[in-house]
Amino acid sequence: MDDLAFLPYWPLLGNQMVWVGVLLVAGLLGGELVHRLLRLPRITGYAAAGLALGPGGLELIGRPLLDELTVFADLALGLVLFELGQRLDIAWLRRSPALLVMGVAEALLAGVLVFLVLNYYFGHAPLVAAVAGAIAMSTSPAVLIRVAADLRAEGQVTERALLLTAINGVIAFLALTVLIPWLHLEYRGGWLTMLAQPLYLLGGSLVLAFAASQATLQLARMIGQDPGRQFIAVIAMVVLTVGIAVALKLSVLLTLLAMGVLVRNADRERHFIVIDSGDAGQLFYVILFVITGARLDPGLLATAGAAGLAFVLVRFAGKVLGVFAFAPLVGLKLRHAGLLALALLPMSGLAVVLVHETASLYPEIRASVAPVVLAAVVMLELFGPIATQFAIRRAGEAGTEA
Amino acid sequence: MPEFKSSEPLTLGVELELQLVNTRDYNLTRGASDLLAAVAKAKHPGEIKPEITESMIEICTSVCTGHAQVRAELDAIRKIVADAAAKLNLGVAGGGTHPFQKWSERRIYDTPRFKRVSELYGYLAKQFTVFGQHIHVGVPSGDEAVRLTHGLARYMPHFIALSASSPFSLGTDTQFDSSRLNVVNAFPLAGFMPFVRDWQEFGVYFEQMSGFGIVESMKDFYWDIRPKPEYGTIEIRVCDTPLAVARAADLAAYAQVLAANLREDPGWSPHPDLYLVYSYNRFQACRFGFGAMIVDPVTHQHIPLGDEIIATLTRCQARAEQLGGGEALTSLLKAAAARTNDAQALREVLEKRGSLADVVRSACEAWMGS
Repeated sequence: MDDLAFLPYWPLLGNQMVWVGVLLVAGLLGGELVHRLLRLPRITGYAAAGLALGPGGLELIGRPLLDELTVFADLALGLVLFELGQRLDIAWLRRSPALLVMGVAEALLAGVLVFLVLNYYFGHAPLVAAVAGAIAMSTSPAVLIRVAADLRAEGQVTERALLLTAINGVIAFLALTVLIPWLHLEYRGGWLTMLAQPLYLLGGSLVLAFAASQATLQLARMIGQDPGRQFIAVIAMVVLTVGIAVALKLSVLLTLLAMGVLVRNADRERHFIVIDSGDAGQLFYVILFVITGARLDPGLLATAGAAGLAFVLVRFAGKVLGVFAFAPLVGLKLRHAGLLALALLPMSGLAVVLVHETASLYPEIRASVAPVVLAAVVMLELFGPIATQFAIRRAGEAGTEA
Repeated sequence: MPEFKSSEPLTLGVELELQLVNTRDYNLTRGASDLLAAVAKAKHPGEIKPEITESMIEICTSVCTGHAQVRAELDAIRKIVADAAAKLNLGVAGGGTHPFQKWSERRIYDTPRFKRVSELYGYLAKQFTVFGQHIHVGVPSGDEAVRLTHGLARYMPHFIALSASSPFSLGTDTQFDSSRLNVVNAFPLAGFMPFVRDWQEFGVYFEQMSGFGIVESMKDFYWDIRPKPEYGTIEIRVCDTPLAVARAADLAAYAQVLAANLREDPGWSPHPDLYLVYSYNRFQACRFGFGAMIVDPVTHQHIPLGDEIIATLTRCQARAEQLGGGEALTSLLKAAAARTNDAQALREVLEKRGSLADVVRSACEAWMGS
């Protein structure tokens, strides 16, 4: 037998590369399938493929492997947030401050309504309900960016939806940063932690973001305006920054978002070419959605479906109220305001990561509101991208589709 | 054949086609509908209108008496458009071409006429995302319109060199100061008006062409300069949209004084060889700007275009003062003497900044003011 030792053993030894490949191929095919047959956004297909292969489906991809793949999803999410940060055009907000007010309003209203419903109606403790509310504020940046890119969308609804997504992301992170120490106090005690932790998280993340953005601009200056090389520079800097943020126990998400904002707004001499998640960038979106899909647990619909549905509905109501309240101020027609609110519906990987991050710090979350939020994500993983796509098409902002 | 509607001689009107870009990478963007909706309620002279694609709008003055009014109206409209665009995070810029747009990504504005044009011309309609200035000069009769059209033809290279602002196209330096006119050339009825003597002869020509089923209206002629019977004007169409409205108003004043001189010289009649050299001179002006060598159809001399422009402007200065366009001619004279036009300014930005996106950004700053 030893003569044949060069042959592989059966069953094949766990080679994760194979499964990562399978996941990506399945995602890609799933995306094309739903796009061609159903005219749905490709990302819905990526997520569906992940779900089908993952623990919630055929279980070809097990939980341990999924946990190891998390690092790729985190990196992809880091890139998405970096790209989102670049959408937060401070000069625009200065010219049109009502947009900032609208962004804050729709985020806060969505958060507060979710908090109220989970606290009063579903009886969750105020603090965990507030955590769910904070997560509810954010719109999935990956869905917005990807659907807009796939539709080659351009126009006021699209631009504003991306801007509001950036704003509500910032607000959600800030709210969570403030809430985490309260959780700490509630469940662990310690006043020092309660005061020092948010300061460290916030200050540290911003300092790191500033340093990383300066380094990125410096790097861009050195390598020149070649899109290919600048893309590599971005990946390198994002990996580096994610790594440092993890090592320093800072907020990875806030750091990357702030880094994007700073790169865009501090680049007065325009050394940095804006990276539209072009061909290479799309890979990270496939990874992100496939893994997010694989992490979905449709079983939650049975156990937490009602609360999840309530979460989705009041969150949407909050966003609708916030957008409509300030629509006249930003010169938005009511029809476009409705479409804008609809475009903000998606929740996806970002929410999943936020749930898991908070839950890893405070396991109390896991047993209380986590299932509710994740059930909502299961629903919105399907309907969110469709809503955004519908809104952009209806606004007449879709170009020739890729 | 439409009636020629008489109008007050030497009155002026200016139309400017403007590009709409995003402020992220400064590519052309779809924004015309949003921008037009945003300015719909503002009070202003003239008009702000949609054009063939969503990445273009057109502004035009009312019928003006002279340079000062053109300048004032353009400034007023510019301010309204620039303010609305700033709120929508759109950039508005002059320039005859967008330096790096891909025409295949442009979408045609959603009205029946534009749809028809787009179906007929196919990719030309999208490639035709170029931005020009049109200058109307009022004339009392069709006969005079024909005479002035011939009379101004020899000055078209001047207008090309003074307005040229399209050195870049599809991401490269075309080596032309005005690459926009190369795009216009692709249309079957581009070029110049045939050598007709008066409005009656023009009518015969028009009936022939319409008898062939080639044209339906004057709109189908893409000539550099053409009579516009509905307005009672002749329309100069060779100019790129300048980077700033001041230059656009100056060019209108120049057209006005040239027209005045021709009107006041009843002995002048068009030389039959005029159009033999026309296309050559036009090419020279597009390619080399002030550095062009143009051919005089009468003397057969080759003259540096820059010198000829300076001589003509100087000769017209006194009459222009009477018409209220003295200042405008002085400023054109300064540009011609320094041999600087917008095309050159754009090339300098590229040299300094290294990116075409920055070229567009500087064009937006020049047009919108900051």
